[in-house]
Amino acid sequence: MAMFLQLLFTGMGIGAVYALVSLGFVLLICAANIVNFAQGDFAMLGAYLLVLGLNVFSLPYPVAIVLTILLMAIFGVLFAGATYWPLRFRGALPVIISTIGAQIFLENIVLYLYGPVPQVLPGVFNSPGFTVGGVFMDSQYLTILATASLLVLLQYLVFEKTLLGKKIQATNQDKEMASLLGIPVVFMILLTFAYSAALGAVAGVLVGPILFVSVGMGGSIALKAFAANIIGGYGSIPGAIVGGLLLGVAETFGAAYISVPYKDAFAFLIVLAFLAVRPQGLFGEKVAEKA
Amino acid sequence: MKLLDIENLTARYNASDVLKGISFSVEEGEIVALLGANGAGKSTTLRAISGLVPHVSGGLRLGDTSLLGLHTEAIVRLGVSHVPEGRRVFPGLTVEENIILGASNRKGLQKAVLMREVDEKFELFPDLVRLRHTLGWKLSGGQLQMVAVARGLMAKPRLLLLDEPSLGLAPIVVQQVFDIVTEIRRQGTTVLLVEQNANIALSIADRGYVLETGKLLVQGTPAELWGNSQIREAYLGGASAA
Repeated sequence: MAMFLQLLFTGMGIGAVYALVSLGFVLLICAANIVNFAQGDFAMLGAYLLVLGLNVFSLPYPVAIVLTILLMAIFGVLFAGATYWPLRFRGALPVIISTIGAQIFLENIVLYLYGPVPQVLPGVFNSPGFTVGGVFMDSQYLTILATASLLVLLQYLVFEKTLLGKKIQATNQDKEMASLLGIPVVFMILLTFAYSAALGAVAGVLVGPILFVSVGMGGSIALKAFAANIIGGYGSIPGAIVGGLLLGVAETFGAAYISVPYKDAFAFLIVLAFLAVRPQGLFGEKVAEKA
Repeated sequence: MKLLDIENLTARYNASDVLKGISFSVEEGEIVALLGANGAGKSTTLRAISGLVPHVSGGLRLGDTSLLGLHTEAIVRLGVSHVPEGRRVFPGLTVEENIILGASNRKGLQKAVLMREVDEKFELFPDLVRLRHTLGWKLSGGQLQMVAVARGLMAKPRLLLLDEPSLGLAPIVVQQVFDIVTEIRRQGTTVLLVEQNANIALSIADRGYVLETGKLLVQGTPAELWGNSQIREAYLGGASAA
């Protein structure tokens, strides 16, 4: 039983990271109707910025984290300006291709600057954790779970309870109509890019101390997060969260009880199963396509 | 006083002109109807006024301000509210949220004032009261039209642009909507109305313009338009009209 709970705890922790990146995916799908292939690189860049802040500039941990997230939010706007803005009237596909270009560019820039050697990040807390009923509560995993829960709650409050959130939703649902009401559509979209990049950075900063910080880390997280998006329901916010957690737990159990080398395969087996049996995912579209 | 003044306006989306130089005006406090067949350029005229058509030239003025080259959001802030074809109620937001967002063009509006105005809209459309917290995609055509008009009024427009408000509605609902348009004008809002249903449009309009393939064919008071037998046959629904 302790083993089961331990795996559940670890799986939820890693799943929460997938959920955060998946959430970033979904927000851009809703706001700009694009799949951002560089979503995982937001996490990678966030982790490298934290390495830079801690190891090079020796900033205190909280300062380095806040700075990282702020910089990544700004980076999100620049990213929108480079990949989305020039192509926004050309349909979704050219933008998606340009995010693939951005992914290649970003990973190679970091490779050029930092080299292929993985970097090490310390955890947020010095203490490794504690044991409750035979389950070891790793402090970093606890931090991940707490931060992710807090962010999901915060996002829910902003989206559902504030005028700003309603304006973002209106922009997502019908941009032309939103502009006819005087909603600053461009600002809403840029804000979404900034937030999406910041979410990615949070994921990278949280997962950095668990994995090594490497150029390729973003790609594998993004693949899982995109899989989570399909499992949860393409473009669904609750789907991204549930899908991410589910995937984290499933691959952890799969690795422990079935096969460690095939750990990554479980995620994609589940996706295939969903695509075959329930292609709309757990949470189907809330809104039918506009006539 | 002229509120909207359009002079030799041309508009195109891609290669060919949809509007080929039309001129007309709307006086403060009037209801003016733009009539004509499908593809005549009625909706494009409204879209050009709202800054939604990429290539527009000619004269386009609201009061003393030229709207040419302004962004849609800036035009809305000047007091032009556009209730577009198809109602375009946000499907994933509630009726109340849709109506609240109608005031997005007004900066620094106090929450209490905003909510009082929202309540006024529910008084204007009592059928919407029980749907206050219903999501947009669950509404019927008539209900959507009422939400769209209520939302458009939240902008406190000087000029309300209504695109085919009768489209797809049952006759009794059409009558309801047009009664409200009359009431809106009585409260001081100028209305530019696009309609295929000339009958109902001319029953409330002060003046009408008939468009044909991007050009202005004829203008006049409802009586004058009904008096022109050629126009009546071709564009106003034939002799059956009263």
